[in-house]
Amino acid sequence: MVYKNIICPVCGGSCDDVQVNLDKENGTIDVQNACKMGNAKFQEVVSHHRLLKPTIRENGKVKDVSWDEALEMAADILVNAKKPFFFLGSETSCEAQEVGLHIAEYLGGMADSNATICHGPTVMGIQESGMVGATAGQAKNRADMIVYWGVNALESMPRHMSRYGVFPRGYWTKRGRFDRTMVTVDPRVTPTAAAADLHLQLNPNSDYELLSAMFTILNGKEPHPSVEEITGIPISVMKQTVEMMKESNFVAIYVGLGVSSSYGKHRNIEIALNFVKEMNNYTKCNIGALRGHCNVAGFNQLASYLYGYPFGLDFTKGYPRYNPGETTCVDLLREKDVDAAFVMSADLMDHIPADSAQYLADIPMICLDIAPCPSTTAADVVLPGVIDAMECDGTFYRLDNVPVYFEPFTDSPFSETKSNEDTLKQLFAKVKAKKEA
Amino acid sequence: MEALLNTGSTIDEGRLAKGGSKYTDDYTKECAVCWMCAEDFTSLGCPEKVAVISRDRKYSVAVTPKVTEAMRTGQVFIPRSIWANVVVEPDTFSTGSPRYKGSPVFVEPTDDEILSAEEVVMKMYMGGK
Ligand code: SF4
Repeated sequence: MVYKNIICPVCGGSCDDVQVNLDKENGTIDVQNACKMGNAKFQEVVSHHRLLKPTIRENGKVKDVSWDEALEMAADILVNAKKPFFFLGSETSCEAQEVGLHIAEYLGGMADSNATICHGPTVMGIQESGMVGATAGQAKNRADMIVYWGVNALESMPRHMSRYGVFPRGYWTKRGRFDRTMVTVDPRVTPTAAAADLHLQLNPNSDYELLSAMFTILNGKEPHPSVEEITGIPISVMKQTVEMMKESNFVAIYVGLGVSSSYGKHRNIEIALNFVKEMNNYTKCNIGALRGHCNVAGFNQLASYLYGYPFGLDFTKGYPRYNPGETTCVDLLREKDVDAAFVMSADLMDHIPADSAQYLADIPMICLDIAPCPSTTAADVVLPGVIDAMECDGTFYRLDNVPVYFEPFTDSPFSETKSNEDTLKQLFAKVKAKKEA
Repeated sequence: MEALLNTGSTIDEGRLAKGGSKYTDDYTKECAVCWMCAEDFTSLGCPEKVAVISRDRKYSVAVTPKVTEAMRTGQVFIPRSIWANVVVEPDTFSTGSPRYKGSPVFVEPTDDEILSAEEVVMKMYMGGK
């Protein structure tokens, strides 16, 4: 059967035009409109490596168990921990993340998400200086200059350029690519850079200096000549870029981890945001983060709405605290500051530095995921995941923080659970029963 | 050789990771790879394998070198994956996010075996369990 307008649950692009032809009898799925990454995930619905049975590790051996046994053991681990840590990954719905946050609060534990190790510093930069933002549709219809700064859009959000950024025909950009100037800033010549009109190949870790120099130029002053050596970019090229921006009608800047994850972190973002504010004295200019995982923006929205902080939540005192560098995932694990972990819909083991990963492998860990990965290998309890937007409904937040409600085209393969939200609710019930017993 | 390590997506890394294929040879071939410029590759003696070593020399990971014009001298790139993160700086500068971009590392020729993602977890993180 053919299903149209399915939302892709892979990256922050949340493409909503995917067409799926699912043949349940023959176990095949044909996917139209999705990119290579999206298509690969849709194939998971019928893949042979999908995790279909809960497992636990007992005396070093992994064995299949019933859902009830797995949930019991998971609840035991969490209830017996002094400081349990919940990593509520972004490849699932806000609804599931919400239950996870409530369990963390109930147990007085810690909660974090991919949002931290992805654009955490971007969010901190926004807290410092505010953000001139716009929806992806605004940029599509209005922007005649696109800047990808520290982001390889073609490989991290493959359809961004064709759906929102560079190629689509918008109301004021009727000729698509021909009506837009595209600039990239990256230490590598990425495939995105190869498609740009101007590429600024800056030295690694010099984003702050380049942004400051451009800010100086925007303010009509001459930057110090040493900035050329530090950034690897001639001042004349910086001037040309600033001039191109001022002469455009609408500039859309997309930042990636190249800005927020290199030296300078949130200060890079802060100065970029201030630059954009200043640029609005000359023309319309906005900035947004290209968010890699599908619902990474959702966790920030949800955590801010429920507890007042966007990530790195500490419930140990009975009320939410937030102190990046202390209450955040990589730091908690590196400093051995938690004693059990629940990892949902994110391969945390794969994404964190060795010191943190080693400790994560040491402590009791529960992992909810759909396919074998480093996190499931190291986990003590594995709960099979339901694929959001394919097998259950829910809400994601798109890269521009627009909520997107998604509906499934097939059912959960498990009679025991309808969704990850359902699994977490069952786990929460067991946790409560044990805690109150 | 001292270098700054950049990590990030490649389309096939994304395809394989999102498609649940992290334990396949294709994934190891795509991600256990260190991109560098021809000049740096030559200065290392054109090795078949290189070890990328963290700044404190505590961790080392063997990967295949790949010569590309996308890189400049003194800069290397590993697709974002478990291999890259073995040597990424764990310090987050009080932001919660480690230095996925621009971590200082050493790159040296090596005879060490290139581990699969599963072997990295079991041998390096789980102490061979
Ligand atoms: S760009 Fe992102 S959301 Fe769109 S199809 Fe590709 S992976 Fe899915």
